[in-house]
Amino acid sequence: MAAATQRATRVNRALKHAVGAGTPTAGTGTKQIRICAGTACHASGRAEITKAVREEIEKRGLAGQVTILETGCHGFCELGPILVVDPSGTFYPRLKPRDVADILQNSVVSDEVVERLLYRDPKTDAPVAHEKDIPFYKLQHRLVLSANGKIDPHSIDDYLALGGYSALAKVLADDDPVAVIDAVETAGLRGRGGAGFPAGRKWRSCRANPGEKKYVLCNGDEGDPGAFMDRSVLEGNPHAVIEGMIIAAFAISSGVAPAEGYVYVRHEYPFAVERLGVALRQAHERGLLGEDILGSGFSFDIRINQGAGAFVCGESTALTASIEGHRGMPRGKHIRTVAHGLYGQPTNLNNVETYANVPWIVLNGVDAYRALGTETSKGTKIFSLTGKIRNGGLVEVPMGATLREVIFDIGGGMLPGRQFKAVQLGGPSGGSLPAENLDTEIDFESLTAAGAMMGSGGMVVVDDTTCMVDFAKFFLKFTAEESCGKCVPCRVGTTRMLEVLERITAGEGTLEDIDLLERLSDDVMEGSLCALGGSAPNPVLTTLRYFRDEVEAHVVDKRCPAKVCRPLIRYTVNKTNCTGCHACFTACPTQAVSGERKQPHKISQKKCIKCDTCRQVCMFDAIDVDTGVLEVAGRRST
Amino acid sequence: MARTNGKLKTEPAGSRLYEVLKGIDFENRELIGKRAGAGLFDLVREPGGVYRCYACTLCERACPVDCIDIDYCPEHDVLPWDLAAEKAAATAAQPEIDMKPFDAVVARLREGSGLIEALHTTQETYGWLPRRALEGIADELQLPFSRIFGVASFYTQFRLAPVGKHVISVCMGTACHVAGAPLIVEAFSQEIGIAVGDTSADGLFTLQTVNCVGACALAPVVRIGDDDTHGRMSPNGARKLVRTLSRKEAS
Repeated sequence: MAAATQRATRVNRALKHAVGAGTPTAGTGTKQIRICAGTACHASGRAEITKAVREEIEKRGLAGQVTILETGCHGFCELGPILVVDPSGTFYPRLKPRDVADILQNSVVSDEVVERLLYRDPKTDAPVAHEKDIPFYKLQHRLVLSANGKIDPHSIDDYLALGGYSALAKVLADDDPVAVIDAVETAGLRGRGGAGFPAGRKWRSCRANPGEKKYVLCNGDEGDPGAFMDRSVLEGNPHAVIEGMIIAAFAISSGVAPAEGYVYVRHEYPFAVERLGVALRQAHERGLLGEDILGSGFSFDIRINQGAGAFVCGESTALTASIEGHRGMPRGKHIRTVAHGLYGQPTNLNNVETYANVPWIVLNGVDAYRALGTETSKGTKIFSLTGKIRNGGLVEVPMGATLREVIFDIGGGMLPGRQFKAVQLGGPSGGSLPAENLDTEIDFESLTAAGAMMGSGGMVVVDDTTCMVDFAKFFLKFTAEESCGKCVPCRVGTTRMLEVLERITAGEGTLEDIDLLERLSDDVMEGSLCALGGSAPNPVLTTLRYFRDEVEAHVVDKRCPAKVCRPLIRYTVNKTNCTGCHACFTACPTQAVSGERKQPHKISQKKCIKCDTCRQVCMFDAIDVDTGVLEVAGRRST
Repeated sequence: MARTNGKLKTEPAGSRLYEVLKGIDFENRELIGKRAGAGLFDLVREPGGVYRCYACTLCERACPVDCIDIDYCPEHDVLPWDLAAEKAAATAAQPEIDMKPFDAVVARLREGSGLIEALHTTQETYGWLPRRALEGIADELQLPFSRIFGVASFYTQFRLAPVGKHVISVCMGTACHVAGAPLIVEAFSQEIGIAVGDTSADGLFTLQTVNCVGACALAPVVRIGDDDTHGRMSPNGARKLVRTLSRKEAS
């Protein structure tokens, strides 16, 4: 008993020491300016904003009073670059460097808001001043993302100031790995990488398996196109993931075998790699990682392993092969990675988001976590909401929220004048759900039942300008290209399916082709070695299930209702609307447009490559797109 | 391998088989208690003098210590081609590279960095993976060149040919696709006059597609080089971008 108390005292003292070793940057000045430094805001020019803010502060002699904080992703990527002034939490979206002076004058020096720069509610057009009042944030339940946007990811002190690493200290002080596993299992934490396997059960079997060494891997190979929540967590709050991994390592290492960790990050995410590297170094310096963590005697280290652009490497056995320096090809999983994983040792692999949930569960307790979510799926899930939607960005909601809430309440609905058509969930492994399914509750089971899949959390909303056949073809093309080529059903099957879809979108499909697609889908799912092939036909199957009329329109009427499939459409000039402004004439890359100024123009169908440029540059809505013209194309050639 | 390791455990110590098996680390394919270079083997010939081996490569694949490297057909007394010359020609077909920065890669390898990390460092150094560098890595890791090349060609990010001054990466993620990324790729391709994956003859542009850069809210996204990201692209904007870059280069 005395030994246990001594250990707890030692660990807590070590944590206190780690916290006291530095000062946090967040919340030190009387005023604070938070600038989002996530990838999307960076791309829309946050570097210039930061520069302008620094110069302006220098100019006004405010240095020391105002803290500038470059944080991770705030989540509202659509509106980047984002700047928030604290303590009031005044939110300024889509900034230009020239606006910065105004903000400093009115919002920082005095306590007002610059109304012309505020976010406007798309429904009422009323300005909303504070971050917490914006519907996009107000309706979310941020658990994993709570610290994102509030702390500087380069500073471990910011994380420690928010109570970071106290979950780790608690676990190490209690010294009861099995209790940790029990807690994670009772909390009902399921893997956030797609399949939703209970994390606690995985940890338990990994612990039970004998080995010389145990590996704890973090899957940050977010290959699913259109998903970026793992990137945002790694960029905005890398320490949460590290802490989760250390707790997992402590829970699965049965004392004898040392544990080692790897974070597998995509090479396309340079910010995530860099910030994670800094975070690991800082955790080392503070004694939170490496030998004898917090004086508990437990040692664990984490290395970063960069991927090199292979979607299949998100699969557990392919990922371990890639870390070992082989081609990233999966193997049959009759023996699971928890028994025989990296270098043949018991290996626990979880997703970034899963690990980031762990410290929260340890700190806030199992019951608090179980209170969120549905019967089978607990906690929250982050989605990256993108596509033809007003408020794109990162959305964290409790499991059990409906798709309608996420898309229309938080996401703000469709772009003006557009109709909702489908929402695609789960990327290339998932499927598209139509409007009838909007009231589906989001949890692992109900999405799978509807034919889609939770996946890693990509949620792409499409409107009536997207052709569902072309959309399915896009995903299939992706899986066909990313198939590693090891097993025949996936390698050949996806290619054959792609050929059928190409025939259909070219207007050369037959009704037999649709049957062939269904048959091939079955074969590919049945015969593939790993989940990449096993789920590759999902986008096609959901398209056939929910949007069959659209597929049949391509086959029977040779018509593309969304006017996307090129062989089935053609561009013409609407003579009533055309003002002869010459804009399309100048922009057309093939000189297919002819006509005099101020006279209606004409498009030569022979020269037109259907690149859509003329329609995009036209200010008068004078370019019409017809479909179902294949049979008349020869007759009407102008 | 696991079976062979198991065999070693059940085999009585001192038996002939035990002596053969011990000292080989089957998991890592390394010798741990044996002297390397202890013997060379000859191929069996049929009475007519031809070799019996038909290069099924089984021995190469099964060898516990990766000591066999099959690279020519032994039916011929003399090699049907000059291997060294072939290799030299393949290397000569590529532009000359300065091998000095490659020492850093070797140093990292000796510190225990993985193969993929080594390939990343090489690509960061040269912008692509020159054959001579790959051969260097193969020598350093004592692995067949084919193994290294196999890994390098598997991952889409590794480039086996030199790239142009401006690498144009068009994001082909889902959000970018529905926002019209295919039209953007086409516009680039027509304006520069090259196909996706190619480099223009003047060495200015390389056009490639990437799966997702994670900036979906700005779709469609184009990235020039490593850091210059352009969001909300249009085909017309793409053509203008190429013209601006070419003009800048010309002046």
